[in-house]
Amino acid sequence: MSSAAPSARVSVISAAVPVAAAIGVFGVVYGAAAGPVFGPSLTMISSLIVFSGVAQFTMVALVAAGATPVAVLGAVATLALRHLPLGAVLQPVLTAGRARRALVAPFLLDETTGLALTAGERAERTIAVSGGLAYAAWVGGTIVGLAGGTFGSIEPLAAALFPVLFVGLAALTAQSRSDATRAVLAGTASIALLVLWPAAGALGAIAVAVAVSSVVKAP
Amino acid sequence: MSLSLLIAAAAITIGSRVAALAVLPPPRGPVAALVRRLPAPLFAALAALSLSGNDGSAALPAMLAAVGCAVVVALRWRSLLLILGAGLAGFLAASLIW
Repeated sequence: MSSAAPSARVSVISAAVPVAAAIGVFGVVYGAAAGPVFGPSLTMISSLIVFSGVAQFTMVALVAAGATPVAVLGAVATLALRHLPLGAVLQPVLTAGRARRALVAPFLLDETTGLALTAGERAERTIAVSGGLAYAAWVGGTIVGLAGGTFGSIEPLAAALFPVLFVGLAALTAQSRSDATRAVLAGTASIALLVLWPAAGALGAIAVAVAVSSVVKAP
Repeated sequence: MSLSLLIAAAAITIGSRVAALAVLPPPRGPVAALVRRLPAPLFAALAALSLSGNDGSAALPAMLAAVGCAVVVALRWRSLLLILGAGLAGFLAASLIW
């Protein structure tokens, strides 16, 4: 084993813990929001088996608004499309076989993808470690939220961690001036899109990133 | 909300993750070239998304300060921990001011 491996592992855990903590705070918010709509049992089961903040918050909003099951599943399926580009950018750095990839796949998140691309540790292991921490935090947060807990004043801090994390991941994955140019263009265009058309959401932002990567081709 | 609807939603979400990571073949040709260029703009777009609160609402000044500090540090050092620390410091400093 190389001497770099333990350091890379520590680096993965050090970066994953604050991200998991922020996810845990949103788990509390989810538990508090979903409890009255789904009931305690289904709220808990949703966090255990879906493990997708954006999909679960969307389901709560749609069910509370009286949407049909088909509309709920349509929204969930649309949101799930975001996993395809995440998987595509990870494919070149994956070394395990399909069975092991399938085992860690439930932990495929925006955050774990970024950590896997930048941590210097095996991608599958980074996804498993950071995803496992995030999962525990999400489920634990849901339990606290269902029990009536809140984090009040630190919720804005937790919310601020995500753009900071993604700025860091954009910087670390920018290997050239062209990458940096594409990142700035994609960030700026995404903000413009989301201000003008908030409903574009995650898929709109990802579409902007794909469009910028298609158009600005300099290496 | 029923248990069966929840299971269907889980199957879609987890199924799409498994498909993305373990079923779909690695991209080739022009798609592979596009995917190589994708990570930095993808995370920049996700930063914009999380900054906008996913609903187009204005970000808190403290959140903007956090992102600003993170950008400044990211331009100088390639350490995710330092960038996270700078963002946290920027957020706390701005929270004290506003």
